[in-house]
Amino acid sequence: MLLAQAITQMAPPQCLRCLRNSLQLVEHRSLIQPPTRAAFSTTSLLSAKAAQPRKTAGTSNKSKTLRLSKNIRQTAGKPPARGERKAVRKRIVLSNTNALEVDGLQDLTADKLARHSEGTVALQTFTGQVLGFSDETVDALRALESFKPTQAWSLFRRPASLVRKETAALANDMADTETDTSKVARKMVFGEKGSGKSVLLLQAHAMAFVKDWIVVHFPEGQDLTIAHSAYEPLRTPNGRIYVQPQYTAKLLLSIANANQALLSSLQLSRDHQLPFSVQSNMSLFRFAELGGRDPTIAWPIWQALWAELLTPATKAVQRPPVLVTMDGADQVMRVSAYLDPEAKPVHAHDLALVRDFANLLSGRTQLPNGGMVLAATCASNRAASPTLDYCLSRTYIKQEKASNAWHLLPLRGPSWDPYQLKDARVESAVMNVSALKLQGLSKDEARGVLEYYAKSGVLMNAVTDGFVSEKWSLAGHGVIGELEKGTVRMRF
Amino acid sequence: MVFIFGVNFPESRLVARSLQSFYGIGPQVCTRLMARFHVHKTAKVGALSDRQINDLAAELSTMTLENDLRRQLQQNIKRLRDLGTYRGRRHAMNLPVRGQRTRSQIMTARKLNKIERIG
Repeated sequence: MLLAQAITQMAPPQCLRCLRNSLQLVEHRSLIQPPTRAAFSTTSLLSAKAAQPRKTAGTSNKSKTLRLSKNIRQTAGKPPARGERKAVRKRIVLSNTNALEVDGLQDLTADKLARHSEGTVALQTFTGQVLGFSDETVDALRALESFKPTQAWSLFRRPASLVRKETAALANDMADTETDTSKVARKMVFGEKGSGKSVLLLQAHAMAFVKDWIVVHFPEGQDLTIAHSAYEPLRTPNGRIYVQPQYTAKLLLSIANANQALLSSLQLSRDHQLPFSVQSNMSLFRFAELGGRDPTIAWPIWQALWAELLTPATKAVQRPPVLVTMDGADQVMRVSAYLDPEAKPVHAHDLALVRDFANLLSGRTQLPNGGMVLAATCASNRAASPTLDYCLSRTYIKQEKASNAWHLLPLRGPSWDPYQLKDARVESAVMNVSALKLQGLSKDEARGVLEYYAKSGVLMNAVTDGFVSEKWSLAGHGVIGELEKGTVRMRF
Repeated sequence: MVFIFGVNFPESRLVARSLQSFYGIGPQVCTRLMARFHVHKTAKVGALSDRQINDLAAELSTMTLENDLRRQLQQNIKRLRDLGTYRGRRHAMNLPVRGQRTRSQIMTARKLNKIERIG
């Protein structure tokens, strides 16, 4: 009685009869499928249930996002092939058929680089004007990798550049060394971003090519030092140095292609100790090309080629002056990313190619037939090299004090932090190198380049005094990269 | 395909990546190994010279790697357990060994610490 009362009062959630049924069901099920796990664990059962796809009638697997055109991802077919994107990024376009042909655009020719009877080069009179490059020069510059993808060559009909006063000064130096081979200009070009350092090197290449000099150009200092190219140790009497066979081969090929006509006319003048035999009267073009095609023999050929180029010219052996340049030279004035066998960083001057360049730059290796050595720093990807910065600013201030502009400069030169160690090798390499600082253009030069833009049809404004002054000021007193950005690139 | 230490690697694979695929070679050891045989950091397996491959293989064969290293690790843990140390017990119980708190964030210990630790 009491029990029946209790049951009615409590009102259980499930009636006992049903409970009995359900227990039977459980027993029945367990008899059919014996559990594989321990009986007290329900994990497998639960997880099996969870793993079953929950499908209900009338639903599909398609997403429920609103179908708008912006929500649909466009698939552009195949992804780009290997190296394709890099090729697009590094592509150099030197012509724009939509740009107008500039009337009266003269080319840089040998007669413009000749000396007047008054002693100055003819190029001096072209300061502030734009001069084009002939097709052969453009081919040589392309082979040397003088053009950079960041420069605005693709906006104009054909490659041309402004003759600024520094260009004329370089032409003057070139004329000097041709008359007196002991006068070899060795310069470090520096200046802010967009000030025209790389283009000045390009102009030097073009001038040297026109003058029938041999041009050797290291397109990017960082390619030598960031350890993206193979290296091998080489024992020398002065210690261990590192050779970069692939890079040397690439460089030899670029030298051969850029100076093809000239090198074809020169021949080997003596026997070199090479690990293979070559014809004694082989042309230097074939010789350089041989090294360019085979990285394993590139290094001995590089050495032999330099021995040939540094041979003093005689009546029997013709040897022209040599222009050696490097862009992004700040990258080679520090330790490189290469490691020695003890996993310590290798100093960039222990790399054989860099060492050769540093010797030429410092003057330890003389150029007996004349020539010029130029190095340009890079301002957009500047490597930290305190010693180089210190030496450059010290040399620059010293030079300016010697000229009449000393009153524009701070009285004291740069001071070296006594707690920091100076890089003796970098210091010895750049100590006696003159510093060429590129600053903004003069207003006349700025007018010349703006008129060229207008004549090419890429600048629509009338080039008036007011317009030139405005753009010149906005470009930080005529920094040419900024001038270009503010007038020509702004529209594209 | 290039055969290094019992494994065939495709020629287009980076040397650094190939070396680091071995248990017991991480970024540090790999850098030292590559520096020792003058392999630059972006070198591909296909660009290695025969001499470099032989040198690398000879060097790898002197190192404790892969299963030998795993066995060594297990033996070290076993020694701790056999001694009856606290560290040995913690290893066996899937719990942190070095005094970390256990209220939260012991996923790594739960994952790795076990009697027959895999690696």
